[in-house]
Amino acid sequence: MPYSVMIVDDSAVMRGFIRRVLTLSGFEVGECLEASNGEEALAGLEGHSVDVILTDINMPKMNGEELLRRLETDSRLRSVPTLVISTDATKARILKMLSLGAQGYMTKPFSPEALREELERVLGERNA
Amino acid sequence: MPEQLQQAPRTYAAPEFAATVVRVAAEVLETMFFEEAVPTACEHAWLSTAVSVHVSFEGSHQGEFLLSVSPDTARSIASGFLGVDPEEMTETQPGEVILELANILCGALMSNLWPESALSLDTPELASAEHAFLGAMHCCFNLPDGMVAVSIGVCSGDASA
Repeated sequence: MPYSVMIVDDSAVMRGFIRRVLTLSGFEVGECLEASNGEEALAGLEGHSVDVILTDINMPKMNGEELLRRLETDSRLRSVPTLVISTDATKARILKMLSLGAQGYMTKPFSPEALREELERVLGERNA
Repeated sequence: MPEQLQQAPRTYAAPEFAATVVRVAAEVLETMFFEEAVPTACEHAWLSTAVSVHVSFEGSHQGEFLLSVSPDTARSIASGFLGVDPEEMTETQPGEVILELANILCGALMSNLWPESALSLDTPELASAEHAFLGAMHCCFNLPDGMVAVSIGVCSGDASA
């Protein structure tokens, strides 16, 4: 079953890379929405349902931390699994994002296979 | 470059520090940019034409990161990252991808060098490679289409911590 995905990253080339490696990894992608920051993501999610959100942390206007806070307060969106993708692999940052509601945390660099495995884990937890 | 770095660059020649830079840079280039990077002796004549990106970092450690990529290598790296032929890329795409490479590489290096620390990275910016950091930790890599140089200058914090 194809999954609908929201990719949130202020780098257009990074969004393109994630979209491409999702396909390369064999992950079944249906609708793929994109946003360059948390504000755009929330606006895009108003009219759409997605199966999973992949988000960066450091973004202008609304960063990944604030996006997670806002998702947690939205009764419709709080159940959507969120996977953080970041260059920051420090323990403090990972714990912070998980405490804000992220179901997974991927650090760059990552391989297509690793991204798929983490998404399957995150989606499996939701479906369990 | 911050005045603090210009005045008092610190050199970190600890083997573990250099080994981490070499290992992480090679891993990043191979995993996400599909390029095999082999550490090589420094020869910097190519730097005058390089695509260079500068990133400042601060927190428990403060300093600067500089990535320089030879033009053909920049196009090759961008091609691999974007999944398009070099001829199909726009003028700006190689630079955009090298900005992303610098962001990923700097973040991965900080996390590997100082995993217990709390650091924030500034937004990467295209820069001139002419001011390659005096006294900074520096490594050069040979890629199939050219060269990559990585420099880190730390002006506060214990780099060996």
